[in-house]
Amino acid sequence: MSSHFTTAANRIRRSPYQTLAAVSIMTMTLFLACAFFLIAAGSQAVLKYFETRPQVNAFFATDFTPSASQVEIIKSDLAATGTTDSITYISKEDALTIYKELNKNDPLLLEAVTAQMLPASIEVTAVNPSDLKPLADRLKEVEGISDVRYAEDVVGQLSKWTASVRAIGIALVGAHVFITFTIIMLIIGVKVANRREEISLLQLVGATPGYVAAPFIWEGLLYGLSGAFIAWGVSYLVLLYSTGFLIGFLTGVPILPVPVIFMLEVLAGTIALGALVGGLGGFLAVRRYLKA
Amino acid sequence: MITARNLTKKFGDISALTDLTISIGPGEFVFLTGPSGSGKTTLLRLAMRDLLPDSGSLIVNTHDLAKLKKKDLPALRREIGTVFQDFKLLADRNIWENVSLPLEVRRLPQSQIDKAVKIALELVGLANRATLFPAQLSGGELQRAGLARAIVGKPKMILADEPTGNLDPKTARVIVKLLKDIHAELKTTVVMATHNADIVNLYSHRVISLDKGKLIKDNPKGKYE
Repeated sequence: MSSHFTTAANRIRRSPYQTLAAVSIMTMTLFLACAFFLIAAGSQAVLKYFETRPQVNAFFATDFTPSASQVEIIKSDLAATGTTDSITYISKEDALTIYKELNKNDPLLLEAVTAQMLPASIEVTAVNPSDLKPLADRLKEVEGISDVRYAEDVVGQLSKWTASVRAIGIALVGAHVFITFTIIMLIIGVKVANRREEISLLQLVGATPGYVAAPFIWEGLLYGLSGAFIAWGVSYLVLLYSTGFLIGFLTGVPILPVPVIFMLEVLAGTIALGALVGGLGGFLAVRRYLKA
Repeated sequence: MITARNLTKKFGDISALTDLTISIGPGEFVFLTGPSGSGKTTLLRLAMRDLLPDSGSLIVNTHDLAKLKKKDLPALRREIGTVFQDFKLLADRNIWENVSLPLEVRRLPQSQIDKAVKIALELVGLANRATLFPAQLSGGELQRAGLARAIVGKPKMILADEPTGNLDPKTARVIVKLLKDIHAELKTTVVMATHNADIVNLYSHRVISLDKGKLIKDNPKGKYE
C-alpha cells in the first residue's frame, strides 16, 4: 500500500497544473457541500427548537398596563383549559430588564428605551403544540391584548425554508459532484493513457489489475482528501467568523457556537464524500483502460 | 512447457498462424525462425496470452490457455520471463527499478527483491549500471537489463522475441551467449524468435521454422534455412 501511495504522490507532484485543477474543483464542490450541510443542519436545529417549545406570546398594547387582578383572571382562565404547562406574566419593567440583558453591549440602544415604551406580555407554554392555536384565539379575546404570536407560524415558515435549502443544496451539490467526478476521471484518464506502455509492461510481468489500478485510485483519493481538508477548514473559518453575528440573529435559540465534535463529524463526512468522488473517479478511469 | 495443437490465429483475413502443432519440453533451448510475418511473434504473444487463439489448443506450463481465467493470468505471466526487441524499459525508472518490476508486482519483501535484483544484474554484468537510467545506457546494455528483468523472478521459461534485432552482430552474440549461460545455469526453457542466421547457426539447438503461419521444419539440431 505504501509503495502505491508513494507512486501516486510522485505522479501528483510531477503534474502540478493537473493537480491544481483537480484539487480546486474538488475543494469548491466540497465547500458547497459543507456550507449547504451546515445551513440545512442549522435550520433543522432552529426548527426543532421551536417545535419542542410550544409557546404563545400575547402582547398588551404599549399604552395599556393590566392590573394584578386582571392578570390573575387571565391566568386562571387559561389554566382552566388544562392545556397549559406554564403561564408567566412579563410586566413592562420585566420586559425592560430582558431588553437590557439582550442589548447590554450596545449602550446607545439602552439609553433610548424606557419601560413605558415596551409592552407587557403573557408567555404561555402549552402541553402540546396542537393546543397553541386555541390558546392564541382565547388570548386574542382578552382586553388590552394587541398582538398574539405563537410558534406554529415560525415552525411553518422555517419548515418551508429548511425544505427549500435542502432541495437547492442537494441539486447544486449533486450537480457539482457530478462535474467534479467527470473532471477527476478525465484528469486521471489522461494520466492512464500517458502510461499505457507502462501498464502493458506491468501486465506482462504478472501484475494483477488491482496492482495496476491502485496508484490511480490513490491519486483520486489524495485529490479528494486534500479538497476535503481545505473545504472543511474554510467552512469552519467562515462559521467561526460569523458566529458572533449569528448569535445575535438567532437570539434565544441555543445552537451556537457549533460544538467541535459536530464539526469533526462534518469533517468525516466531507472526507468520505471527497474520497468517494476521487477514489471512484480514479477507479473508473483506470478500469475503462484495463478493460480495453 | 509449450504444447500447441492445431493452433490458428487470424488478424482479419490474414492468417498469422494456421493449424500449428508443436511441443517444446522443459529445459529446451529452441530457436524459432522464419521471415517477418511468419508467425513467430504471434506464437510468443499467444504463449503469454497477450492474444487469444481463434481455434486449437495451447498449453503453457500447466495452464490450458483456452480455459485460463482472467484472475489466473498474472500467475501464468509470472512463470514466464519475456525479452523484447525494443527492450521495453521504463524511461523514468533506473535499471535497478526496472529489473525489480516483476518482483514488485508480486509484493515480495524489499530485502528479497534487493537480493534477487543484485544477483540478476551481476549475472548479466550490469551491477555497476544499476543506478543509471535507460537513456544513459547503450543498446547492448539495455538488452542485458531486459534480460535481467526476464530472469529476476526465476521463471520456468524465457520467451525472447527478436532480442538481437536492434543490436550490432557482436553485441547480439553477447546477448545470446548470456541466454545460453542462463539456460545452462538455471535450467530455464528458452524460446528465442529470431531471423538472425549467424546466431542460429552458431549453436546446434533445436530450430522450429515457420513461414506464413505454418510449420516448415522442426529440426532438433538445425540450422537457419
